Amino acid sequence: MANVAKKVSWSGRDRDDDDDERVGETTPLLNGTGPGAAAGTRQLTPSSFLRIGQLSNVDLNEDVRELETELPRQYPNEIPHNEKLLSLKYESLDYDNSENQLFLEEERRINHTAFRTVEIKRWVICAMIGILTGLIACFIDIVVENLAGLKYRVVKGNIDKFTEKGGLSFSLLLWATLNASVVMVGSVIVAFIEPVAAGSGIPQIKCYLNGVKIPHVVRLKTLVIKVCGVILSVVGGLAVGKEGPMIHSGAVIAAGISQGRSTSLKRDFKIFEYFRRDTEKRDFVSAGAAAGVSAAFGAPVGGVLFSLEEGASFWNQFLTWRIFFASMISTFTLNSVLSVYHGNAWDLSSPGLINFGRFDNEKMGYTIQEIPIFIFMGVVGGILGALFNALNYWLTMFRIRYIHRPCLQVVEAMLVAAVTATVGFVMIYCSRDCQPIQGSTVAYPLQLFCADGEYNSMATAFFNTPEKSVVNLFHDPPGSYNPMTLGMFTLMYFFLACWTYGLTVSAGVFIPSLLIGAAWGRLFGISLSYLTKGSIWADPGKYALMGAAAQLGGIVRMTLSLTVIMMEATGNVTYGFPIMLVLMTAKIVGDYFVEGLYDMHIQLQSVPFLHWEAPVTSHSLTAREVMSTPVTCLRRIERVGTVVDILSDTSSNHNGFPVVESNPDATQVAGLRGLILRSQLIVLLKHKVFVERANLSLVQRRLKLKDFRDAYPRFPPIQSIHVSQDERECMIDLSEFMNPSPYTVPQEASLPRVFKLFRALGLRHLVVVDNRNEVVGMVTRKDLARYRLGKEGLEELSLAQT
Amino acid sequence: MAPLLRCLLPLLLPPALALALGPAAVGRTRRPLALEALGEAEELAEELWDAGLPGDLPELEPECRRLLVAFAEGSAALTGCLGRRARPVRLCQACHRHYRRLLAQYGNIARAVGNSSESHNCAKSILTSDRLQIVVTLSEFFNETWEAANCANCLKNSSEGLSNSTVEFLDLFNKSLTCFEHNLQGQTIYLSPSNYTEVCKNCNETYKMLNDLYNNLQRMNRQGGESGHSAHLCIDVEDAMNITRKLWSRTFNCSVPCSDTVPVIAVSSFILFLPIVFYLSSFLHSKQKKRILILPKRIQSNASLVNIQEKYS
Repeated sequence: MANVAKKVSWSGRDRDDDDDERVGETTPLLNGTGPGAAAGTRQLTPSSFLRIGQLSNVDLNEDVRELETELPRQYPNEIPHNEKLLSLKYESLDYDNSENQLFLEEERRINHTAFRTVEIKRWVICAMIGILTGLIACFIDIVVENLAGLKYRVVKGNIDKFTEKGGLSFSLLLWATLNASVVMVGSVIVAFIEPVAAGSGIPQIKCYLNGVKIPHVVRLKTLVIKVCGVILSVVGGLAVGKEGPMIHSGAVIAAGISQGRSTSLKRDFKIFEYFRRDTEKRDFVSAGAAAGVSAAFGAPVGGVLFSLEEGASFWNQFLTWRIFFASMISTFTLNSVLSVYHGNAWDLSSPGLINFGRFDNEKMGYTIQEIPIFIFMGVVGGILGALFNALNYWLTMFRIRYIHRPCLQVVEAMLVAAVTATVGFVMIYCSRDCQPIQGSTVAYPLQLFCADGEYNSMATAFFNTPEKSVVNLFHDPPGSYNPMTLGMFTLMYFFLACWTYGLTVSAGVFIPSLLIGAAWGRLFGISLSYLTKGSIWADPGKYALMGAAAQLGGIVRMTLSLTVIMMEATGNVTYGFPIMLVLMTAKIVGDYFVEGLYDMHIQLQSVPFLHWEAPVTSHSLTAREVMSTPVTCLRRIERVGTVVDILSDTSSNHNGFPVVESNPDATQVAGLRGLILRSQLIVLLKHKVFVERANLSLVQRRLKLKDFRDAYPRFPPIQSIHVSQDERECMIDLSEFMNPSPYTVPQEASLPRVFKLFRALGLRHLVVVDNRNEVVGMVTRKDLARYRLGKEGLEELSLAQT
Repeated sequence: MAPLLRCLLPLLLPPALALALGPAAVGRTRRPLALEALGEAEELAEELWDAGLPGDLPELEPECRRLLVAFAEGSAALTGCLGRRARPVRLCQACHRHYRRLLAQYGNIARAVGNSSESHNCAKSILTSDRLQIVVTLSEFFNETWEAANCANCLKNSSEGLSNSTVEFLDLFNKSLTCFEHNLQGQTIYLSPSNYTEVCKNCNETYKMLNDLYNNLQRMNRQGGESGHSAHLCIDVEDAMNITRKLWSRTFNCSVPCSDTVPVIAVSSFILFLPIVFYLSSFLHSKQKKRILILPKRIQSNASLVNIQEKYS
């Protein structure tokens, strides 16, 4: 793969070198931006042409830069947040390996057996990822179970007491206060300590695997906050689940273990040093995400497919096999620890955090006549999912614009918690749906106004953790729920869940979606059996499952992985077909209206996310229009002072610098020689690898690749590096540190072509050269991500500081 | 075929006879007598068979035959007991002796490890020598019923007699029933639905005690019930409580909860009102977050922009 791509760029350069007649072709190429753009090309005045020529030449030229900085003032530069922005906060990961001389030296030094050890280490790390993810899942599960049990027992005792004597409003207050205070703690730690731990974490991990460096996303602190936050928000009775955050937790664990150290704890275990770079880390993070899914749903294959579908852009079969290994280990660990905890060791009956229970009796089977019904449910799920996403979109926009202070966010979370409790209470209070307590498996039967020996059936849905409610809806015998109860519950829970997602608490959306879907699915099943005069096949539990799948599919729009996850969670392979149909329908219908929840949130966060393909109608755009220019270049042997100045320049926070031939004559343009990264420069400055010093002291240690790895991933900022006035006059030789063969494209390459190269190789910088191999511009992630296919065709997003 | 039938018939006959004769011949108070009669009838049938058919084929050992007959009698008795005690449910109290006896009888047949080779043969010839295996089926049916009723829960550990807590519960249950009856004298149930205040007032204490005891039993059972069997109490106790609760809250309408709707509405509308205030105030007072646009360094050709606009306008 890499070879092919390299060939593309090299061939481009060769061609430029070979035929000089191409020089003349720049003009028609610029004009010929596409046959449909005739009107546009005519507006291209000669003067603008001239400017291009100037700019593309030399960027170290001071007056050119001044000319650049004056330009922005003409524009209104403050706008309210909207979805058509790209934030400067996000940077790319370096997936591309820098094949500099140090790298080659190291490769020469390490022999074959050492590489085999590296391979074994990869497996060991994957096993550890699985085990630790499983253990974290166990911890969350056990703590949530106990704390929620405690809460519900206290509230139930209170309600039972006040039902006799009167004063139920106190019970309501108690319930609301308990919820709000627990959620307050959960929200405070997220809002004030680590805001990136908010939400389900799936969008963040998706971005990370796409190659976007989200600040703090894989830190130990984030993991701790995430785990505590999710426990508190589930115990606080919000309409949330603990499954989504497991994926984030797994990813953090993977990123942490594979580095063999924790920067937060300032501990370095001196192991796995080989893996300290973005390439390796990202592979492990995809394994961690898979292990998280696997622990959450007891679905190891689903986890692998989730990583494939949502995450890893770079995929090979060995990586897949390792990821599968990590997932299996994770679900097995969870299973064995939980079965020991539940007292039946060796039983291995709880493979995931949520267990859908068994769907294998004959009533749960489906017939071929039911398939159109399932497809119809898929349509309903798609519509409801789109509605959910649209409402959540407006809400999130409002939150970003107005509720951006941490204390306001905490207050909002508390209010939602209190309202959730109140709504639940009022629903239970108003419900007259009583069911006999005998023979039912309700955890906290709430009698309230029911006759003795009966319980309020609305309370099974509201007065319970969402996971348990889902399982109840799947498996309670027909007749356990009144259609009225289900209808009200669906309606209320829909709005509560929609309101809750996007709060500053760490919580997932999987379980609430499943719950909404299960409720309306069951309602659907019940009405179906009314219509068909009680046919035996219209078992409401089956329809609850299909409804849950449809709703979840309509909200998150996952396809392959969700089908497999649902299949594995139900433990019934024959359900694969209807679930697939339901999810397909839900996705098609939902995509017609609005995009998936995760993609929407990625967009609202202004993340430069690269999709699989460039926008379809973008072939007329060329690299010349896409690229940023002018480029700040460095010479091969550069003055230290210049390097420090360039790095400290806050207005241009570049991370990669093309290295050009050092030519004493600044006016003459020099060809591209390599590419060097900011992080490398900082390490060089820190170790003071200057030409003069090397001449002075012969004993000076040569810099090794290890020095770069030790600084990874938190390279010190340039401000922390002190360079004296004398040293500024020294020279620095970049030739053995730079990547001597950066990927390049000619100016006339089309956007999809550039995009494909960028996306497939996971590049961070792509240098645009002219036919004399001179640097013309630079294409980075943000240059590509700003083109998007909107409602009216191709749109361009603008950059903004957030 | 014939010998097979001959073996089977005695097996099938007793329950059938018991069922057939049950209501007519079996008096309510004279059960032992009835059992004897059954046994006689069964022997009679057997003799008939013996007399009518030649004994040329290998016959069941007399010892085994005796065991089989005992099992047949036991199962007949248990079936009768279960049927009679189906409603109101008194299975565990009434039938546990029968059940225990039947278990012993089945054990006698099945005991393969006994020192006599005879009993081993019995197990083989009675339990496993045909397709139907009716003895096994019967025994399984009884075991399952017993499990489902969860009778073990209200019997002593050695299953001799009811456990203390069950006896206590049943005493209290009888007491409350007596109380109901006592207070309802002169009134017909369903005559005046609102006129049960007397019952409610007088029996409240007993009912409360009964209810508390039941809840206690349930809690204890749940705590002890981690080790395998389900969290249900035995069916007798459950059913007794059910009946009482239904009488109490449905028929007598005694448990009227205080529904304080006004404070609940007030508190809940207050809480529901809070978010509106919050969102409005943050909309009005919070400073809207502005993003600072950065102009990208690009070739200012306008070509791309025009391209985009032209193409899709």
